[in-house]
Amino acid sequence: MKVLALIYGEEGRWDSATEEQRNEMYARYRAFGEEAGEKVLDGAELAATRSATTVRVRDGETQVTDGPFTETKESLGGFYLLDCSDLDEAAKLAAQIPGAATGAVELRAAAQ
Amino acid sequence: MKYMLLLNNESRDWDAWRALSPEEAQAAREEEIPKWDGLWAWMEQQGIKADGLELGDPAKARVVRVQNGETLVSDGPFAETKELLGGYFVADCKDLDQAIEFAERVPVASKGSVEIRPLVTH
Repeated sequence: MKVLALIYGEEGRWDSATEEQRNEMYARYRAFGEEAGEKVLDGAELAATRSATTVRVRDGETQVTDGPFTETKESLGGFYLLDCSDLDEAAKLAAQIPGAATGAVELRAAAQ
Repeated sequence: MKYMLLLNNESRDWDAWRALSPEEAQAAREEEIPKWDGLWAWMEQQGIKADGLELGDPAKARVVRVQNGETLVSDGPFAETKELLGGYFVADCKDLDQAIEFAERVPVASKGSVEIRPLVTH
């Protein structure tokens, strides 16, 4: 089954990280990618929430607002699309994602 | 430029869908399908390719955290919010304006919201 792993973290920590710290984090992500191999179908890093745009259509009118649809202490910073036999396997894999140790990883199974 | 479009449904809609029988849920889904035709036609006309996925019930989500080397797994979505993620697209758009045009054609935008997030390219 396909499972979407949503990686949440405190954006401020990333903003204030040094280049060395960022490179170290990227290296950890690359290592996770190599370790997970074919279980990772897709994935990406998202630009900061300040570059988010939220779109709603009400009564035929498009409303565009800057920023994410909800403000949370930890915000979405990236994702992986995983190929796992079940959520238990996905949880084991998600625990290896570097972001699980600095924030949280939410797992959402694809619709049946 | 690649964008992730996060399709958020109202939490009360998830509650309503949960109350449906499998047959009713299937009928409700089939009713939704034609609403997406406008988006597919627009994407074809614009030559936009997108990957995407419809997600299952957020109540069945799990949240994984690792603290001091210990894995903690909890049930339920990451945050209890008025709207909950129901699916996503990753689309290659010319610019943010085109991504907004994409978002406003997603049926979910009429009831919930579509959040657009640029992807980081390395």
